[in-house]
Amino acid sequence: MVNSLKNKAQMKIQQMAFMIVAVLIFFVLVGLAFLGWQLISVKDNFNSLQKEQAIASIRTISDMPEFNCDSRRSLCVDEDKLIVMANSSYSGFWNVASISAYKILEKKSYLVYDSKQKDKKEFSTYVLICKKITSNYEKCDLGKLSVGVVNV
Amino acid sequence: MVGFVLIVAIVLIALMVFLVISIRNRTEFKQSDDVENFVNVLMMHTTGCAIVYEPDYDSVIDLVKNCYNNRKCANLNKMACEYLNESLNLIMEKVMETDASIAAYELDLIYENDEERSYVIPSILKGNCSGSVYGGQQVISVESGKITVIAKFCYS
Repeated sequence: MVNSLKNKAQMKIQQMAFMIVAVLIFFVLVGLAFLGWQLISVKDNFNSLQKEQAIASIRTISDMPEFNCDSRRSLCVDEDKLIVMANSSYSGFWNVASISAYKILEKKSYLVYDSKQKDKKEFSTYVLICKKITSNYEKCDLGKLSVGVVNV
Repeated sequence: MVGFVLIVAIVLIALMVFLVISIRNRTEFKQSDDVENFVNVLMMHTTGCAIVYEPDYDSVIDLVKNCYNNRKCANLNKMACEYLNESLNLIMEKVMETDASIAAYELDLIYENDEERSYVIPSILKGNCSGSVYGGQQVISVESGKITVIAKFCYS
């Protein structure tokens, strides 16, 4: 009688131990899944933050008097200035690895500066590339301004 | 055993509630500076349509307003809406050609006032989206309402 009760109690303890381990494993799995999900969103946020920062830098470059159409408009690049800058020796002036512009509809590109550094990452954003037709009219095209930054 | 099943059930229910809440909070697209810039720049792009005389060509924003007012491009002998639709379709295709990371796009011009909501031109869309959708928009004021230009890019 005593032996039978002892065996039953041992069985119950064993069952309880297995249950605790199973519950623990279950919570660890749920935790891992949650952590994985969070890590993916952290990586996504990092990438988009990096891109937003690059876009802010491109905006600063496009707003420089060397490029911009006029001081009132942001993200507007003067095509004539691009042509002049592409043929100038301003290489030491830019604090980036490369600068280029591209007119999307005309498929026309301007390479302003390229340090020819191999390990660089290019970021770009949409800008307006404008050219004066007459003193009163200008033609503006959808374009992209790309800036290369050295990968660190 | 019953306890274990109960714990699993409670955790699963909690997970499902969490999932439903996060899906409900998710907007149609994520706001992006890049797409926002695209919409702003697109609105200033010079088109080939001159409503009054050449070379006074309309920008996209003016063409949208002239389309709403049902005007005609004098130099092309086309309705402003017809030319706007053609131009925007061409631009969006070229944008997709130049950016390999764009898997799909959608451009909507929606007129809204207190009583109605309608599309100015049919929705411009192409591609199949399986990645993240980023968007930007600009509001154009017109008589008795507003036109919202919404661009969405799906990046692969």
